Amino acid sequence: MAILEVKHIEKNFGDTQVLSDISFSLEQGQALSIIGSSGSGKTTLLRCLNFLERPDGGNISVNGKVIFDAQDPATQSEAQIRKKRLHFGLVFQNFNLFPQYTALQNVTLARELMAKEHGGESKAQILEAGKALLKQMGLEDRAGHYPHQLSGGQQQRVAIARALAMRPDILCFDEPTSALDPELTGEVLRVIRELAVQKTTMIIVTHEMNFARDVSDQVIFMDGGVIVEQGDPQQVINHPREERTRQFLSRREG
Amino acid sequence: MLLDVTLSLLEGFGTTVELFALTLLLALPLGLIICFGSMSRFAPLRWIIKTVVWIVRGSPLLLQVLIIFYGPGLMFGLPLLPRFTAALLAFVINYACYFSEIYRGGIQSVSRGQYEAGQVLGMTKSQIFFKVTLLQVIKRIIPPMGNEWITLVKDTALVRVISVYEIIWMGESYIKKGLIWPLFYTMVFYLLFNGLLTVFFGWLEKKLDYFK
Repeated sequence: MAILEVKHIEKNFGDTQVLSDISFSLEQGQALSIIGSSGSGKTTLLRCLNFLERPDGGNISVNGKVIFDAQDPATQSEAQIRKKRLHFGLVFQNFNLFPQYTALQNVTLARELMAKEHGGESKAQILEAGKALLKQMGLEDRAGHYPHQLSGGQQQRVAIARALAMRPDILCFDEPTSALDPELTGEVLRVIRELAVQKTTMIIVTHEMNFARDVSDQVIFMDGGVIVEQGDPQQVINHPREERTRQFLSRREG
Repeated sequence: MLLDVTLSLLEGFGTTVELFALTLLLALPLGLIICFGSMSRFAPLRWIIKTVVWIVRGSPLLLQVLIIFYGPGLMFGLPLLPRFTAALLAFVINYACYFSEIYRGGIQSVSRGQYEAGQVLGMTKSQIFFKVTLLQVIKRIIPPMGNEWITLVKDTALVRVISVYEIIWMGESYIKKGLIWPLFYTMVFYLLFNGLLTVFFGWLEKKLDYFK
């Protein structure tokens, strides 16, 4: 059974339709890349999954359970949304680390607040888990650094650890390397590759075509708010069927 | 003579400091409430607040002190408020309006991404405000707050219009005796007090310098 099922998602900003009839599904342990030009709606789609935007139509199911239905207001209360968005983690393009907290505190803050609210883990356990995540990101020696003392690549890795700390079912990346120098891009992509090897379920919005092809099990090409083509990465990126996809890919290489 | 002047100026300065401290104590939280009102999603509330802020910031504090002291009696036949209370009331309303705008600037300067990062990590609105935004806001409003506090110290001199005996009133009383130096002496009090405030704000700024 698919871990995530997205059906007929629609989203309008005023009179402009930015997402139209978006449907796809994702299996546990798979990575899905979403490619397409700026303004194609890929970031909005991710933001809909994380409820930073409310879809105007369609529904979203996780593990076979409908967690959001545009037709059903019961799934849309503030408290419901807050709980359900924890199925998803989101790594932002500009990291959005909390500047007044150290790398480790950034990773543990939300989990500590959650534990305080619902009980469960002790502070020591959360701290250990945070340290382990930073170690996994290759940042064990940066735990006490503040974001402004870290390079962009390091900041983004902290942001990934912070998202993982909430143990999401699906981890989303919104152009995770777009704000980075080419030099720093590699270290972030390496970490994401590692996560793919460990079978982390991921959705990655990216402009890195080679990376998308290597790391993902499925690729979606979006244009003008619709899914133009989706399928096996080799096929979509190397042998696209649709004219629009070919145009997009060839222009990128030129 | 020096002792005599010092004691009398100190007495006036006590009133000044009392007005300063009480105004801050009340106007700082009131300003935050006004600030939330001015950012409310409920448009009528927003407009009411904006109008009040416009009136309060757009007219002289001196005038507001006079109106609050004399107004209730002359307009509605109510008993006069004690002079100090009337002065305090005018100051609190006036400064709360200024503070509300400083808060608003600080809150709106924190990037949207900070709220969103908190949201996707499952934090509640109040957790995001207290754990993520607040300290960033405080850091940003320190310089304008420092200005405002120093202005407040000097504005307290206005309350003499309703005969609250603050320090300048005391200093001025010596002019009748042909003495000018008590006025300069008065200035020393202001300079020392504002010097302390400057040091305090500098220290605070430094204290929050560990993050950007």
